[in-house]
Amino acid sequence: MVGPDSLTKELHDHVAEKLEDLDGVLALRRTDVGTAPYLFQKGDDLSELVLQPRYPLGKIVSRLQKRYPDAPIGVVVRGCDTRALVEMAKREQVDPDNLYVIGIACTADEAEACHCADPAPDLGQWPQGRLIGVPTEGASAHPLVRQYRDMSLEERRRFWGEQFRKCIKCYGCRDICPVCFCESCALEDPLWVEPGELAPPFPMFHLIKAMHMAGRCVACRQCELACPAHIPLTVLYDLIVEDVGDWLGYQPGRTMDMAPPLSLTLDQAPFRTGVK
Amino acid sequence: MEYRNVLTTCTYCGAGCTLYLQVLDGEIVGVLPDKEHPISRGGLCIKGWNAASFVDHPDRLTTPLIRRGGSDQHEFEEATWDEALDLIAEKLLSARREFGSDSIGFLASAKCTNEENYLIQKLARAVIKTNNVDHCARL
Amino acid sequence: MNESFEPRIVAFLCNWCSYAGADNAGIARMQSPANVLPIRVMCSGRVSPEMVLRAFRSGADGVLVLGCHIGECHYIDGNHRTAKRMPLMRNLLGYVGVNPDRFRLDWVSSAEAPKFAQVTGEFVETVRALGPLEEEMGEQ
Repeated sequence: MVGPDSLTKELHDHVAEKLEDLDGVLALRRTDVGTAPYLFQKGDDLSELVLQPRYPLGKIVSRLQKRYPDAPIGVVVRGCDTRALVEMAKREQVDPDNLYVIGIACTADEAEACHCADPAPDLGQWPQGRLIGVPTEGASAHPLVRQYRDMSLEERRRFWGEQFRKCIKCYGCRDICPVCFCESCALEDPLWVEPGELAPPFPMFHLIKAMHMAGRCVACRQCELACPAHIPLTVLYDLIVEDVGDWLGYQPGRTMDMAPPLSLTLDQAPFRTGVK
Repeated sequence: MEYRNVLTTCTYCGAGCTLYLQVLDGEIVGVLPDKEHPISRGGLCIKGWNAASFVDHPDRLTTPLIRRGGSDQHEFEEATWDEALDLIAEKLLSARREFGSDSIGFLASAKCTNEENYLIQKLARAVIKTNNVDHCARL
Repeated sequence: MNESFEPRIVAFLCNWCSYAGADNAGIARMQSPANVLPIRVMCSGRVSPEMVLRAFRSGADGVLVLGCHIGECHYIDGNHRTAKRMPLMRNLLGYVGVNPDRFRLDWVSSAEAPKFAQVTGEFVETVRALGPLEEEMGEQ
């Protein structure tokens, strides 16, 4: 579903206008062979600019800006992408001053498919940007997340045991995550994740990744989409992110003002107990 | 500053997942899965995610290498394709002459195309005249 | 469950407070369970979730992290990070079905030898009642 024609037209017109000033606009391009991210430049055929399927464009922005730190570029993104860009900007992986953000509001169906609580990009965090489309209501959480408190330890163990047994350690979830950028990744350290072995009963890979998602995961669902074994990873990450929200009042990607709380002191980012 | 994605097929196994090579200014900088592939549907195994890592790898061979001093020599020396192919032809024929056709075995590869694999088994059966043909995917 | 089960506990102790507290407990001949394998770190803030998880993976039935009280950290605010990371990790253990009571974070100063003995004693009994982790994970 590309979206209503008026949205597409408005988007194409706006990108054409911005390409007069920007060195390029990163978006999805549909050709005869397929659809993938592409840096549109002045003179390119904008009828090829589409909005599906979703790829995480934040990482590509980071890569482009590192190669060309002074180039003004734009990017066509959804709510989750803008949240990812905010988290990356806080960690100095993205430069907001040289980035023009064209935000696309997801439709209600798209929000439902992602169990997305906040499908509209918040452009208030960006010095320059434009919203296209009409923001819709957030969808409810994944049914498993909603009923998680009622599951016994044994049920949880059994569930995740079945899920992680399917894992082939492709590292796709890590590779596609828009907020993962460490050059030296803990998941590749043989001290923590034994090489040559698939997920053991005590699932080191998945527990470490989940901990690293605390305060960072923006619920874009790319990891789940990339998982060849269809493991519902974001159920676990949603739970951890909820804890960070409850205890530290921090929600990833919401505002540029709050620094990631786990590296701050208790005075800078207090820990609220007794919430659960 | 030119960034684009080039659709290609993973070279590592017979499943044939397609993926995009991320190309920035003519240089491969990463891989993205093909979300529209009817079989792999946006998934890749660990080899697929790293399918481009051999392209610029320092260990990658760029010329044929020959131990001109024979199998007792430890070091490889750079050679031309002509020299290498002449040597291979000479050795295959002499092995067949001295020890018979079935003294030679041919190992095909999942990293080759179907057409290349077809050619190697044709070489084995019709030219060298042996049925000793196998494929790395069977191992 | 095997009644003679002796839980194996790994305890990360910070050099300046809890490790010294453990030392003092020993010097004063206080009863502390022998089940505890102490690992001295310079600050409890150095204890990463990976280290705790590795301890479980390596055979610990329970893991303790003992640091300086907030405000008394030798490095001023190292333990602030501990105070945030460790509860999150404890919850995560619960989410994948590992009994979170197998992990405990507490604050023990060098002068609190009795507290060290008490916390470790209590914790060993808590974990003893839960049984070996291996059995719990092996149920899948």
